[in-house]
Amino acid sequence: MALLEVRNLVKEYDGKTVLAGVDLDLEEGQVKVVMGPSGCGKSTLLRCLNRLIDPTSGQVIFRGEDVTRPDTDVRALRQRIGFVFQHFALYRHLTALENVTLGLRKLRHMPAREANEKAMHELRRMNMHEHADKYPAQLSGGQKQRVAIARALAMDPAVLFFDEPTSALDPLMSREIVAVINQLYLDNVTMLCVTHDLFLAKYISDRVLFLDEGRVRAEGGADQMFSDHDDPRIRAFFGHGPQDR
Amino acid sequence: MSFLQILTLLAAGAGYTLLVTLACIATGLAVGLLVAMLSRVRSRPLQFLLGSFTYVFRGVPVLVLLFLVFFGLPGIGIRVPPLGAMMLSLGLIAGAYLAEVFRGALDAIDQNEIVAAEAMGMSRLQILLSIEVPQMLRFSVPGMLNEFTTVLKYSPFAYTVGIPDIMKQAMALAATTLRGLEIYLAIGLLYFAIYKLILVAVRALERRFRVPGLTPP
Repeated sequence: MALLEVRNLVKEYDGKTVLAGVDLDLEEGQVKVVMGPSGCGKSTLLRCLNRLIDPTSGQVIFRGEDVTRPDTDVRALRQRIGFVFQHFALYRHLTALENVTLGLRKLRHMPAREANEKAMHELRRMNMHEHADKYPAQLSGGQKQRVAIARALAMDPAVLFFDEPTSALDPLMSREIVAVINQLYLDNVTMLCVTHDLFLAKYISDRVLFLDEGRVRAEGGADQMFSDHDDPRIRAFFGHGPQDR
Repeated sequence: MSFLQILTLLAAGAGYTLLVTLACIATGLAVGLLVAMLSRVRSRPLQFLLGSFTYVFRGVPVLVLLFLVFFGLPGIGIRVPPLGAMMLSLGLIAGAYLAEVFRGALDAIDQNEIVAAEAMGMSRLQILLSIEVPQMLRFSVPGMLNEFTTVLKYSPFAYTVGIPDIMKQAMALAATTLRGLEIYLAIGLLYFAIYKLILVAVRALERRFRVPGLTPP
């Protein structure tokens, strides 16, 4: 059974259609990348899935349960989905360690000691344990993003969502994150990643979904999408103009 | 009578000045925090009420409000003790100003962090207490220090409702000794000393809770 099934998801803002009927399946242990031009609805899609934004219509089935129903426990749903943001969104008044323990203490009601141990384990996994006592302002972009990933992992989520995780990073730091995501893939972590970073898409995923004007325009293997695709829109996006044919 | 003797005599009132100042600061902090937090609640009638509160209390002079509470309210049968009258006038006015300081500080919090906390599954109250308030208080230090100082400098009004603070002692002493210059110079020094005390306390707190890279915008 798929971990996540999205059926005909529609989101309209003030009469403007952002998502025009998106279908998507995510299997357990799979890494899927959603790509597309700016404004195609990528981020909105992610935010609809964990109900940060309420979709206008359609279904999101999370482990067999329709989570778009009005009686869904939205906070419980969100606790099962780890979310990693473009701008890291670390809590600036907390150390790296406290960033990771906050959810464990407040949401899981874990005793401080146990939460610290769990958080240190996740930080070690991200190779950030030596920076546990530093504040976000004292970390580089790549380090911040690794703390953010540790923070999401600490909650033992069923799936990790990445919203443009490398857009605010330089190429070197981006590669750092690519390595981390690949490591998570080997650890069998299910991930859904929204990006327009070709390098990231190419190296972390075998399945790429191309979103354009609120619709899934194509889905396929990374190689198939990046090389000469039949669809001119996709060719243009990935940098193969008509002259390349 | 030497200048030092004058200083010691007046210092007897310093305790009351400090008491009035701290009581009014405490009132101001409680009211300011409450108003700032309620300002996050989306309710038009409530926002109108909070808006009116800050509008009125920032516009009324301290002395007028103090007399209204202390001399006016007994007219309709409500008797307020002197310290209570100070808290209901100077304290509430400080609350209105502090509410604005806190509101500005709340607006300075990075919205991405709040969305991240929501995405984590935290409740509105958890976000307020774990993310917003701790950052807001740190952002508010300069504004709070300003307001605390203002409260101290309005505290001499306490003598008008019979609190034997420094000012009251000075008036009495000046009336009996006619050495106004030295006496008023002495109370100037005493107020400065109390100001310095507040400054040191706030700075120590600020240092204790300082976070690298988290500075007021």
